[in-house]
Amino acid sequence: MKPGTKLKSTVCDTEVMVIKAGEGTIECGGAAMAEAKPAELGALSADFSAGTLMGKRYVDAAGTFELLCVKPGKGNLSVSGAALSIKDAKPLPASD
Amino acid sequence: MPLAGWAEHQFASFMALTGSPALHSLSGAGFLVERAAINGFAVPGAVSAGGGCRLIATRDNWVALNLARGDDRDLLPALFRDETLNPRDDAAIAARMAGCDAADMVGRGRELGLALAAMDEAPVSPAMTVTTTGIRRAAPTGRAPRVIDLSALWAGPLAGHLFWLAGAEVVKVESRTRPDAMRDGDPGLFALLNQGKANVALDLHDSADRAALIALIERADMVIEAARPRALLQFGIDADALVARVPGLVWLTITGHGVSDGAAGDAAHWVGFGDDCSVAGGLSAALREATGRIGFAGDALADPITGIAAALVAWHRWTGREGGRIIFSMAGTIRAALKREQDAEPARLYTSLKRWAAATGRPMAEVFGGTPLRSPTAPVAALGQDSAPWLGGTL
Repeated sequence: MKPGTKLKSTVCDTEVMVIKAGEGTIECGGAAMAEAKPAELGALSADFSAGTLMGKRYVDAAGTFELLCVKPGKGNLSVSGAALSIKDAKPLPASD
Repeated sequence: MPLAGWAEHQFASFMALTGSPALHSLSGAGFLVERAAINGFAVPGAVSAGGGCRLIATRDNWVALNLARGDDRDLLPALFRDETLNPRDDAAIAARMAGCDAADMVGRGRELGLALAAMDEAPVSPAMTVTTTGIRRAAPTGRAPRVIDLSALWAGPLAGHLFWLAGAEVVKVESRTRPDAMRDGDPGLFALLNQGKANVALDLHDSADRAALIALIERADMVIEAARPRALLQFGIDADALVARVPGLVWLTITGHGVSDGAAGDAAHWVGFGDDCSVAGGLSAALREATGRIGFAGDALADPITGIAAALVAWHRWTGREGGRIIFSMAGTIRAALKREQDAEPARLYTSLKRWAAATGRPMAEVFGGTPLRSPTAPVAALGQDSAPWLGGTL
């Protein structure tokens, strides 16, 4: 998956921008995300329904994947079934 | 220097309004060049005085790209949709930029959380927007205002500093885990802007700390913060709700681009720092028009310009016992200041831009300083040194 690709959830409103990605399927709400929104939303998996937060960056344990939430929704993000976690906020500049 | 006339005018109004003798030895224009004086910055060209922001040509326009934060460059492969880009290679970045359309680049960069702006853009938000009108306080408090300063870097802390100079009791609140990076990054400016303020450190992830902060705000007259509007809301701190229930509370939110939601996207989510916001406000376009030069026309000018503007507006509202939440846009404030100079003193503005361009590369404070650099007159509090009394509710 190319960095800069925008992916949409197929089960909720979530949209992400790929910052970096490795091998694996990027999912939201338990279903694979896609570049195009499906005509009809699928069902949200109860196991992946914690929600996404606008502007937060989500990473996997190995640091291979990083996704930026550009539109929040009800599903939460995972890669091949493993849930992603929120990355710490960006440090502010020492001076601007 | 550019916009010095506006700064003097605003500062004179602030002085008259507060009647504070501590302000008399200072000049409004002095605040614009203070950071450059402390750090020995030169008058910049296409690379900002502080070095973090640069103007780069795209296919159709110039774009100011600010990479001041340590991990900003990690986002560049996503910005250019190219994993082969070496994000430390400035020549490679410039080459990619040359093939892009400015509006497309700026739109995507803002979505990624980068601070950038196009030279020909018009600010999407006005200088200030009042989102909630407060409840009028029945009577004056009879004491100096109490200010909770949650902001970091330059614009917000300068507003807090002006309040302190005018006699306010100011409490600087910092995150224990993410303190104001300027304390170490620019200790000279930090000392000037944060001298005399009490210091409280807390962790917004901690529910007891959140409750203590809300209690602190309920006892305050003014709040200054410079977070993106969603950030405090995500921690359950609802500025508009607090303003709607605390009589007379004046709440200043300082943002890069305001909160207008239009065709270009929702500006409330965009990041902006002083140099890129000055470009977004039209300052570099004015420099180009007057001189033909491509460059920054100040040192992160949107920061001190907005700090001064916000202090004047907030103090005025506090005096009127009105309360309200006022959202400042740094880009919009630059636009308003520039417009005022274009209308009121066009010859002075033109001359200042000409002088600025002619002084490129020379020490900024030497050419434009005028008054000698001031020194702090009060101590700078250590991080969290006053947490116990302020958060415990004894003050």
